[in-house]
Amino acid sequence: MERLNVITKLETILAEVLEHKNFVITDELTAKDVDGWDSLSHMMIITHIEKSFDIKFKLRDLNKLNNVGALISVIQSKL
Amino acid sequence: MIFNSYDFIVFIVVVFVLYWFVFKNSAKYQNILLLISSLFFYCWADWRFLGILVFNILFNFYLAKKIDKVNKEKTKQLVLWFGIIVNIGILGYYKYFNFFYESIQSIIDPNASFTALSILIPLGISFYTFQTLAYIIDVYYEDIAPYNNLFVFSTYMTYFPKLLSGPIEKAQYLIPQLITKRPFDYYIIVDGLRQILWGLFAKIVIAENCAIIVNPIFENYNIHSGSTLFVVGFFYMIQLYADFSGYSNMAIGVSKLLGIKLSRNFATPFFSLNIGDFWRKWHMSLTSWMLNYIFTPLSFILRSYQKLGLIISVVFTFLIVGLWHGANWTYVVFGLIHGLYFIPVIYSGSMNISSAIVDENKWLPSIFSIFKMAILFMQVMLVAIFFRAESISMAINYLKGIFSASLLQIPYAVLNGRNILIVLLIVVFLGLEWINRGKAHDLEISNYPKIIRWVLYIFIFLLLLFAGQSTDAFIYFQF
Repeated sequence: MERLNVITKLETILAEVLEHKNFVITDELTAKDVDGWDSLSHMMIITHIEKSFDIKFKLRDLNKLNNVGALISVIQSKL
Repeated sequence: MIFNSYDFIVFIVVVFVLYWFVFKNSAKYQNILLLISSLFFYCWADWRFLGILVFNILFNFYLAKKIDKVNKEKTKQLVLWFGIIVNIGILGYYKYFNFFYESIQSIIDPNASFTALSILIPLGISFYTFQTLAYIIDVYYEDIAPYNNLFVFSTYMTYFPKLLSGPIEKAQYLIPQLITKRPFDYYIIVDGLRQILWGLFAKIVIAENCAIIVNPIFENYNIHSGSTLFVVGFFYMIQLYADFSGYSNMAIGVSKLLGIKLSRNFATPFFSLNIGDFWRKWHMSLTSWMLNYIFTPLSFILRSYQKLGLIISVVFTFLIVGLWHGANWTYVVFGLIHGLYFIPVIYSGSMNISSAIVDENKWLPSIFSIFKMAILFMQVMLVAIFFRAESISMAINYLKGIFSASLLQIPYAVLNGRNILIVLLIVVFLGLEWINRGKAHDLEISNYPKIIRWVLYIFIFLLLLFAGQSTDAFIYFQF
């Protein structure tokens, strides 16, 4: 899948879980920069991503997610 | 040797002079000094448990190397689990043996009398065990490579400012600071002194004065009115906070004197709008440990259950938080209730509210924030009674005492001039915290005009002299 498509899909997922659209997806974006993206909502976001892209994360993958860029790369590697 | 003792002043002055004036040219020599002085510091507190600390260091140092070396995933996992079991086993033996033994025996034979084994808890064991657990798990997940230098690893593990009561530091955060040469930075050292001053104020003026009000009432709580018990609950919550945040500030400040940064442990937790926000600011090094090594794996496993999975994970994590504090059912209930507090937060979705600084750039909080903060304070204050009580039945009776008709009486038992003065001191304490809530620590006043800074230093110093109480322990030393 094109990186751009991944970003668009990711945007929808984040807006759905966090119930707002006050963010712009960039590689450097981190959870800290986004209102409400905390340790509780994080797992909801992960679950939504798994469903939406039909992929499965490993716990090991989660440790590598330092920013959205890393998240996109991990998603792409599983598609 | 606690931070607020004359012994420690002599100790730190000697270490400081040697560190910056004799060994200043080499990080290696500075580390040798740190290691020797840390071992001395630990032995001064209690030499009998040095063997366990040394074993912990050696065992985990070599185990991490083994985890890294093994190629087969299954064997890697087995080595990790062996490490986890040995670490938890030692911690469990010293801290929880009597607790589980008694609990199991009372299930098998409720009438049997229980004889506790006289097991002393090694100082700092809960703190350093959690550090090494994090280390071997991180090596397993390849977040970090194992360290090859046993000497530097030992310096990290025994580093005296955080050895007895935290902050719980990750190896990858502290070791890079130990490897590089520390420059003598006047501003960092002055900032450290400021933080120590604030920690001393919190501990010996606020916490110890609150203890004088709290202790006698808790001893005879059944003869006091609901209103007195309620007011004392308030003082205890402040005491608990001032005691541990004061300790943490002193630890971080002392470390700054040596040019080494420790993690922040408290970030004005009472200025939070919900329980999730509170725990992000209370005993932060423990919370982040629990988040990384208990909550995240568990909620990951249970993620298909969505919000229910989250709730189970949060409640379980807080049960462990409670149990971490000690072997008593009161701590388990403390953790359980905190976990349950998260349920409405998860269901209402109010966890999505930004956890930024409350009413940033405003002098005073809004009515809405005051209301939210007051509710949160009540929530944590009522649970803190379990934390303070010797047994669950005592805590329940205390709470029953609060919620009785006498709640509306005037609390004469604690209403006197001295206590009103202490309330004023608490207002000063929390007031300064409010003003500095967005800063790196509560007395980060480097941008204030010099005159105001010095007025504040002298004011706090005078309070230490005339309102301070002597003490020889911290609440969190027992953990």
